[in-house]
Amino acid sequence: MKMSQNNADKDDQTSATKKTISLPVSRVRLIMKSSPDVSSINQDALFLTTKATELFVQHLALSSFNNGSGKETNTLSYSDLAHTAEETETFHFLTDILPKKILARDYLNSLDQMQEEDADF
Amino acid sequence: MDGDSSTTDASQLGITGEYMASGHYVLQSQDDDADESLNDHDDGGIKENFREQDIYLPIANVARIMKNAVPQTGKIAKDAKECVQECVSEFISFITSEASERCHQEKRKTINGEDILFAMSTLGFDMYVEPLKLYLQKFREAMKGEKGIPGVAVGESLGEELTDDSFTNPLPAGIITADGQQQNVMVYTTSYQQIPTVQQIQFS
Repeated sequence: MKMSQNNADKDDQTSATKKTISLPVSRVRLIMKSSPDVSSINQDALFLTTKATELFVQHLALSSFNNGSGKETNTLSYSDLAHTAEETETFHFLTDILPKKILARDYLNSLDQMQEEDADF
Repeated sequence: MDGDSSTTDASQLGITGEYMASGHYVLQSQDDDADESLNDHDDGGIKENFREQDIYLPIANVARIMKNAVPQTGKIAKDAKECVQECVSEFISFITSEASERCHQEKRKTINGEDILFAMSTLGFDMYVEPLKLYLQKFREAMKGEKGIPGVAVGESLGEELTDDSFTNPLPAGIITADGQQQNVMVYTTSYQQIPTVQQIQFS
């Protein structure tokens, strides 16, 4: 019976698993399944996607940090990310969800300006 | 009101300007005229205010990966963390829909590893492909290293998505085998004991 094995093997297994993945696989699966027309996903696909997501986060964070104001301020900011999404082709798909933020004040000012221009007619 | 539940007039809906930034309007039921238009329809137009991108990975995990990626003394703004959290969901959806499309083209129903890798290559993430293949290999070896019982347990609920050639027998608690073969040693437990030799599904 295999039950008499000591716990060391199991711990190695668990830590091996934990070392390879630091994101919740079930949540990744949930996101994948929310795509239209996705019926089922095999284990390899799930693992690869989860792992790729890790790589993606590292890639995005580091690129944005290096290309943006990170070097001076030592801080990764939202605008660094927005900037990188626009500049780097790989991250172009993010431009829709990373609009460059403007202050509400500035937005309202430009609205006013537009209205004034209309009124000139 | 013309009954159009997707009115974008902020003052009518009573939504604040902050919602204007995204291209999608979350229709709040406010105590004003907007309610009439929402209730005129069967689903009130409210049904789709939960977008697929609204499911996110936990921010703590995402933040940790970011922190480890930037130089050690670097800091990360809070809105940057939240933003990457959203980008991640977008990325997953992006890859998945590409992989899913290929799958359908080949008349298959289950997205497999190859589909994912191919999607990454197509979408400009081919730099991930080689490292991913290595990780997959290491991962499989780590699992197989256990006395010839190939087992896969990666976090919760992975067992629900087995491949087409997986077995159909009901599983004894705590054991999942990747290739469908049942080994001679079967541990039948009704409780989730920590059984050393068999990789269990971790329900955290």
